[in-house]
Amino acid sequence: MADHAATHAVHDPNIGNTGIDHRKMGMWAFLGSDCMFFGSLIGTYLAYKGKSISGPGPHDVFDIPLTSYSAALLLASSLTMVLALAALQNNRVKAATGWLLATALMGLHFVLNQVYEFTTFALHHGLTLSTSLFGSSFFVLTGFHGAHVTGGVIWLLLLVSLAMRGKLDARDYTKVEIAGLYWHFVDIVWIAIFTIIYLIP
Amino acid sequence: MADSHATAAAPHARGGHATVKTYINVAVALAIITAVEVASLYIPGIPNPVLVVSLLGMSVIKFFLVVGFFMHLRYDHPILRGLFVGPLVLAIIIILAIMALFSAFVLLPRPH
Repeated sequence: MADHAATHAVHDPNIGNTGIDHRKMGMWAFLGSDCMFFGSLIGTYLAYKGKSISGPGPHDVFDIPLTSYSAALLLASSLTMVLALAALQNNRVKAATGWLLATALMGLHFVLNQVYEFTTFALHHGLTLSTSLFGSSFFVLTGFHGAHVTGGVIWLLLLVSLAMRGKLDARDYTKVEIAGLYWHFVDIVWIAIFTIIYLIP
Repeated sequence: MADSHATAAAPHARGGHATVKTYINVAVALAIITAVEVASLYIPGIPNPVLVVSLLGMSVIKFFLVVGFFMHLRYDHPILRGLFVGPLVLAIIIILAIMALFSAFVLLPRPH
């Protein structure tokens, strides 16, 4: 059994004795730690909720239709991401490239919506990072999420670039799968933020 | 490019994998739940605690649909499940602890 594992490891240095790709395990460990990071930011937002003594409150500034549209964009981008993975698995590189590009563009659209939202809050409602407890906890939480999305968009565009130069095929399934795990994580964090921050009265 | 075909086939090693049809069904379910979530805000007369609990419930369902099907955790190795679910539980405890620290449980009676 040990001999078999050792032979397997020689054939593919990324697969350990557990039979799991090291890069994939590393990504899941990172996502676990990121859960705690976002957990502390969400906890802080909830702890400060309703305790601001100045500035506008959540329901003075939130644009639920716009945020719902952004949430739909991220959910749709999760679908295109798994479709990219499924296409690559069948070595349909062109289809995979198209789905990856669609995912990146929807992510970019989400980020632009967030930039518009932040700008509107600051210019039309006078809400900034230093206005109130609500402002600081809201901008830090959603800003860090936006930074994650931006990182994901850059990662996806790098994969698209590799694919367009013929450097991505079915053998690189794990590379795309790991990028997909990160992207879906960004989506599930938004699922939590959308409900807890925007929808719950 | 160092990946082998064995790596590409790794997801099948656990004996199952979602199909494209499953992905589309999950996406449709996610869209419907999101629509219901947003619509519930505009329905008058729903008591606040009911609204909060139902919104959280729908959010949890969406969360596990994405994690289970899109992230393949339903089909993946139990070690990966542990790597994610363990810290997720800790994150929920962190949220509850911070809220308790700042007396932020709005649904609970507060001492005078």
